[in-house]
Amino acid sequence: MAMVNLTINGQKVSAPAGSTVLQAARLANIDIPTLCDHPALAPIGACRMCLVEVKGQRTLQPACTFPIAEGMEVQTESQPVTDARKFVLDLLFAERNHYCMYCEMSGDCELQALGYRYGIDHWVYPTYTKRFPVDASRKYFLMDHNRCILCRRCVRACSELVANHTLGVRQRGAASMIQADMDVPFGQSTCVSCGTCLQVCPTGALVDKRSAFMGRDIQTQHIQSTCAQCSIGCGMEIVTRDGNVLRIEGDWNAPVNAGLLCQKGRFDPLYDARPRITKPLVRKNGVLKEVDWDTAVQIVVQALKDTNAKDWGVLTTTYATNEALYLLDKLFRQELGVTNVGLLNDVAPKMVEKANGSLADVNNSDIILLVGANPASEQPVASFFIKRALNKGARLIVVDDQENGLAAFASMNLGMAEVEKAIEFAQRATNPVVLYGAGVTSEAARALQKLSGKAAFVALEPGVNTRAAAALGLNSGFDPSASKALYVLLGEQNWNGELVKKDAFVIVQASYQSPLTERADVVLPMAIWAERTGTVTNTEGRIQKVNKAVEPKGEAKPDWEILSLLASKMGKKIGTSLDEVSAHAAQAIHPS
Amino acid sequence: MFEKVLTRNFSLPRSESIDTYLANGGYQALQKVLREYTPEQVIEMVTASGLRGRGGAGFPAGRKWAFIPKDPQIEKYVCVNTDEGEPGTFKDRELVEKDPHQVIEGVIIASYAVGAHRAFVYIRGEFFLGVKRWIKAIDDAYAKGFLGKNILGSGFSLDLSVHRGAGAYICGEETALIESLEGKRGQPRKKPPYPASVGLWGKPTLVHNVETLANVPHIINRGAEWYASIGTPKSTGPKIFCVSGHVKNRGIFELPLGVPLREILYEYAGGMAFDKKLKAVIPGGASTPMLTPDQLDIPMAFETLEAAGTMLGTGAIIVMNEDTCMVDVARRLMRFFAHESCGHCTPCRTGTTRMLALLEDLEHGRGKAEDIERLEEIASKMRGLTFCPMGDAAANPILSSLKLFRDEYEYHVKYKRCAVAA
Ligand SMILES: Cc1cc2nc3c(=O)[nH]c(=O)nc-3n(C[C@H](O)[C@H](O)[C@H](O)COP(=O)(O)O)c2cc1C
Ligand code: SF4
Ligand code: SF4
Ligand code: FES
Repeated sequence: MAMVNLTINGQKVSAPAGSTVLQAARLANIDIPTLCDHPALAPIGACRMCLVEVKGQRTLQPACTFPIAEGMEVQTESQPVTDARKFVLDLLFAERNHYCMYCEMSGDCELQALGYRYGIDHWVYPTYTKRFPVDASRKYFLMDHNRCILCRRCVRACSELVANHTLGVRQRGAASMIQADMDVPFGQSTCVSCGTCLQVCPTGALVDKRSAFMGRDIQTQHIQSTCAQCSIGCGMEIVTRDGNVLRIEGDWNAPVNAGLLCQKGRFDPLYDARPRITKPLVRKNGVLKEVDWDTAVQIVVQALKDTNAKDWGVLTTTYATNEALYLLDKLFRQELGVTNVGLLNDVAPKMVEKANGSLADVNNSDIILLVGANPASEQPVASFFIKRALNKGARLIVVDDQENGLAAFASMNLGMAEVEKAIEFAQRATNPVVLYGAGVTSEAARALQKLSGKAAFVALEPGVNTRAAAALGLNSGFDPSASKALYVLLGEQNWNGELVKKDAFVIVQASYQSPLTERADVVLPMAIWAERTGTVTNTEGRIQKVNKAVEPKGEAKPDWEILSLLASKMGKKIGTSLDEVSAHAAQAIHPS
Repeated sequence: MFEKVLTRNFSLPRSESIDTYLANGGYQALQKVLREYTPEQVIEMVTASGLRGRGGAGFPAGRKWAFIPKDPQIEKYVCVNTDEGEPGTFKDRELVEKDPHQVIEGVIIASYAVGAHRAFVYIRGEFFLGVKRWIKAIDDAYAKGFLGKNILGSGFSLDLSVHRGAGAYICGEETALIESLEGKRGQPRKKPPYPASVGLWGKPTLVHNVETLANVPHIINRGAEWYASIGTPKSTGPKIFCVSGHVKNRGIFELPLGVPLREILYEYAGGMAFDKKLKAVIPGGASTPMLTPDQLDIPMAFETLEAAGTMLGTGAIIVMNEDTCMVDVARRLMRFFAHESCGHCTPCRTGTTRMLALLEDLEHGRGKAEDIERLEEIASKMRGLTFCPMGDAAANPILSSLKLFRDEYEYHVKYKRCAVAA
């Protein structure tokens, strides 16, 4: 790449051609203050905080939009520059209500930090006395217009990253206001509660309801992990304080999602109010009794020894880690020879010999076939990717016999029987992508083979770690009525246990109380997503780490640890350390 | 007596009709261009004529046309800026209402020169008659084969249509105009890139003021040399001056550029109404710094006004007599700019609001001595900091009124009332 040489504050800097002054400065670790700029968003030069002196230019120029040129000389903290910044800050502080001491963001606010940096110790202009509304009509976060500096990061995040286009600006001048749709309460708008605007807002204008006033960033810990609420595998940071999860933020550096999350990943897990199972339970004289781990494990081991392999059934959630799925497969299927093994969700059919596509292909596609998958509700971040591609001019064809959340965005909606029509369009396109889910019929799957070699095929697996479970062969077809004894790795999922024989002996590994745990004979308390370390495999086959952010509740143990414990009690040596199990699991999922 | 060029048909009956236009030599320049000139020759002619934009900035038209890429594979557009929002300006409206075909002929020639086949009229939403006249004129031009496919058998095609704005001053700024035309919120884009390289729907776009385009047929008909002989060497051609305020005859006056301000005011506008004393003149529309009676001999040209620290702008001359309260003038101007700021950037959005609040306090006798300093501070600091030139436009008249009439501000502070209303 062609490099351009310039000097910033006398320091020689070189940056790729086409960079802005701000990007060049960042490469050289020179700090230029910004407010409206955000690395993930297109710069708009609105706040005027980043003004710098460029030799030869009549006026100060915004670093965030000004392109670099060979030999350019830039000053980032000269007197005219700091005077201008102070002026801009004086104006911003006086525009709306910025009494920091009452603000949730105090300590973490970018405006406040700049106020300190440039010595804004009093209001130069009389503070604005007008009151602006607070809109708390959304479930998870609120909008306090009094703290808004009209930087439009939220608007750009909503349209550029999420491609949802809910947010906009109404009116003009000082009457400008951030609004949803055609000015409706946020809670009644087309907002999908992905929280991306919340994550980019530099001030206390957008506030997370659950973690509000629970501490400044410096008092918290950020633990990198991978979201395990669907099969996309978005990178996230779990924010904790004193052993409690405060909130979840998207990881800007994550390869799959680059900062994006959805309601299912960002908010819903924190609002789970189901009662936890915190101790092993064993049924004695018809009632479940709390016991210690040794007793519970002893009973399970005995049951495994007493019952014939062909009478066993094993069922698992795909919310489990690679490690747990691997151990489950190893112990039950391979060591004990159990064949009645299944998943709690469907699996997308195998389409092409090697699924060649990745989610990134969606971005560069000109036509997207969405076949038998409903990402709008199942994998929302994938639906954001699709809508982003549509913004760039791609066309969407939905092929589905079910109601589809993206139907309104499609240029064509077809039934599964009409898949040929979609295929014709894809054949004429340059970069077609086929996104398919478990809803593809076998006829449609066969027809779509015609596109192999031409289109990028990307599965949108139902569930979470479905790709790994399928690779391990855990979806060999399960019949609950055929088993006298049943081992269910239920985790955080709900399953009502339909068709399970009344007199079957049921062992459940679960995090929450449910009808199935009440009916079970042994219940083993399991850690939830924030309490476990391991790996998960996303729908593209990418193996990513999940990390423990808080201690498991009560005596709960991570999914894989429970299985490892059982195995060792049965005298099976199938891996005891996490690293060892992870390595085996990775090898089994992607045999090299 | 200066021979009228742009307004020569204005007094004819039904001057807006295509028949009147044709009967008076209309569309002959177009025929000449299509038959005899290559696009390059047209650009050369316009460059040689010295024609400068009449929308405010005075950028040389020929140079702008030459910036448009020549590659015929690249689609290009022409936009006719009929937004005319600058307070005191009412020349484009007259041109459109009284002689729209003159402008259309200019549009077609300009489009031919830059290779555009699609042109748009962007007109201020409040110009109700103007919209009607534009549409009627365009329909008639189509009917006579001056617009549409294969114009006059030349092989050149051009479509022209009208888009009405929704009432925002900022949409007169060329990039905001383009955003609005694309159906987006009307606010400026960052420059560079300039519209000549990345404009409407990302394509090279030539944006011109109505009056600029009205000059084009005359340059073709009578030659670049003739055109350049009018006015001063750096400001050529005729100019429609709009005179408003405390003069006897308010209205438009077509005169050569470089005409002394005194001549416009006293010979054409009839001098001061009620023979009051002149106090100040805004020479080029609301965003240009003021002049005082001792500067009346200044030639009304781009370069001379610039040298005097102000601008020719749109040529909108606002005359104020001795009874005018200059604090009130500043307040009214600021009310306009605060209302019209698009709100995109901090200094303009909040700076104008702050200045308005200060001016309201001063005007109503609530002001303090520091308020004058504060006002000056905001106006001088916000200059050059904003996203588009609107910030400077708002600050300039305030700075000049503070420079020239500071005593009136001080009087307001001291006596809590106006010096002139007493
Ligand atoms: C705030 C602002 C408002 C403007 N309003 C108008 C307008 O109403 N009409 C106009 O022709 N040009 C207006 N302009 C100038 C245009 O941006 C542009 O320079 C002009 O249309 C170019 O045409 P010209 O070269 O023929 O002058 C405005 C500029 C600014 C900064
Ligand atoms: S709500 Fe936040 S992100 Fe949106 S414009 Fe206001 S301050 Fe910026
Ligand atoms: S100076 Fe800024 S706020 Fe004002 S009109 Fe231009 S972009 Fe909008
Ligand atoms: S960060 Fe550059 S103008 Fe806001």
